[in-house]
Amino acid sequence: MQLANKKLDWDQFLQIRQEVINSWPTGQEADLADGVAYQAQLPAKLRFAEKLEQAKQEGITLAQPRAGVALVHEHIELLRYLVDEGGADLLPTTIDSYTRQNRYNEAQAGIEESRTVGRSMLNGFPAVNHGLAACRQVVEAMSVPVQVRHGTPDARLLAEITLAGGFTAYEGGGISYNIPYAKDVPLERSIRDWQYVDRLVGYYEEQGISINREPFGPLTGTLVPPSISHSVAIVEALLAAEQGVRSITVGYGQCGNLIQDVAAIRSLEELAEEYLNRFGYQDVVLTTVFHQWMGGFPQDESKAFGVISWGAATAALAKATKVIVKTPHEAMGVPTKEANAAGIRATKQVLNMLKDQTMPETKELAAEVELIKAETRSILDRLLEFGEGDVAVGAVRAFQAGIIDVPFAPSRYNAGKILPARDYRGAVRLLDFGNLPFSEEIKDVHREKIGQRGKLEGRDPSFQMVIDDIYAIGKGMLVGKPR
Amino acid sequence: MVEEKKQLTLVLGVIGADVHAVGNRILEYAFTEAGFKVVNIGVMASQEEFINAAVETNADAILVSSLYGHGEIDCRGLREKAIEAGIGDIKMYVGGNLVVGKQDWDDVKQRFLKMGFDRAYPPGTMPQEAIDDILEDFGLKQKC
Repeated sequence: MQLANKKLDWDQFLQIRQEVINSWPTGQEADLADGVAYQAQLPAKLRFAEKLEQAKQEGITLAQPRAGVALVHEHIELLRYLVDEGGADLLPTTIDSYTRQNRYNEAQAGIEESRTVGRSMLNGFPAVNHGLAACRQVVEAMSVPVQVRHGTPDARLLAEITLAGGFTAYEGGGISYNIPYAKDVPLERSIRDWQYVDRLVGYYEEQGISINREPFGPLTGTLVPPSISHSVAIVEALLAAEQGVRSITVGYGQCGNLIQDVAAIRSLEELAEEYLNRFGYQDVVLTTVFHQWMGGFPQDESKAFGVISWGAATAALAKATKVIVKTPHEAMGVPTKEANAAGIRATKQVLNMLKDQTMPETKELAAEVELIKAETRSILDRLLEFGEGDVAVGAVRAFQAGIIDVPFAPSRYNAGKILPARDYRGAVRLLDFGNLPFSEEIKDVHREKIGQRGKLEGRDPSFQMVIDDIYAIGKGMLVGKPR
Repeated sequence: MVEEKKQLTLVLGVIGADVHAVGNRILEYAFTEAGFKVVNIGVMASQEEFINAAVETNADAILVSSLYGHGEIDCRGLREKAIEAGIGDIKMYVGGNLVVGKQDWDDVKQRFLKMGFDRAYPPGTMPQEAIDDILEDFGLKQKC
């Protein structure tokens, strides 16, 4: 079957579905009619899409943590704690890394060892192994909506089980959950597998059950320029909308410079609307998510709170619909529930203080919005040209040609030629453009701004500068200083 | 710089189902700059890939990274596999966010030393520290 951005035929979907639900014993528990009936009786307070739409109308920013552990009761206790003690507005269920690679046997070993040693040996909740009833147990124990957050190139079985299991939002996409999360999965395959997920969500939508979908914004979380992540988010929004998805949240990971970050959220929303309209998907409810800094964190918890609070402030000023919260344990890996709740409390304090304040409309902000838009349009328009108007085909070819290129991605289907670095004000620019289809005018802006920094630091921009930038926030700065 | 008479060969990789690629790239750069021959098997590397790469390149040491918390499960048995492959004496180093949750580092370190690693590094270790240790462990002086 040829890849195309075309709504999956229902009979064909059902045929693929047989393979999907037979790939692990718990798959049999997922039944479409039963899933819809279960979703239909969930109270409004558990509906993710509705809560986001309401927040958008009110112009407020909701706070959502990441969290997941191996065992069901511990997971329920953790999520409840994050609402009761942290004040989380929305909840996650973060899936463990074995499940993300469809390695359910290893996940099973992790569950069993977690039981034996009395602590979670997995970095998330293995929803496929636990199965449908456990998912429902989790959802029913909550007072706010729960989303599945993961990093799974082939997330079809996980989607079948968790959506029938009552989760009302599902993160990921065929590009954003492949390029940063896999080494060897062809894009054609992951895009196709995510068309299946979107078609499933579209089916629920047709039955009156709105499931929110969120392309993963930050990608590798390492100095990703806004126009790169915007291009991926918009492609995935278009792919989802074609399959019948109606609630879409596009995302972006904080870079650290306030003006660039606010401009990024604003341009992301405007561009996504523009492209959705251009392709005739008028009935999509579009919201935005801002991710607090995804790169290396300071070890010191007070310093980490500084980073968290700056992300909260930026999210509020950018008027993102929700913000994904980091914790003071970020530098050590998976946080305790106490640390996780502390991150949410710090975030909510700042969100509340800033909810009635706005970012002044300055020349600099307007220029940054225009720059990001021009860059993103260059990428998307070339991508569509490559795909002869088809965004799915275009995405595959654009990655092959390096027209889109994600810095520091593990996938061999990513060119890996571009090199980002901060300018003298900490905004992320490009030191090496690889094959990005930017005009000379755009390239000159980047060259000039990075050049200015080089002069200030008395060094030529190089890979060492990039490394210094990667370590910088962990060491208490934004722009990496020469050693 | 490593002394010219012997260039050490290091097998470098991120173990298990872990896709953290950034630190791996930086370590490759830093160890290469320091004069080592680096055989980088990249992210999502199995124990077998580490051992095979070490056998094939006649490596002096294996450097394992794990950033996602499953390090404890993923690393167990690596030393035994090395012994089976006839390279039981190879130096093995491990570092990163090795376990789930914030745990006492000395406990974690002991757990990994017992598993057969020669050294274990906590989160936030800079590449230079490991470079200095490796040179010391092989009795090589650093040339400045």
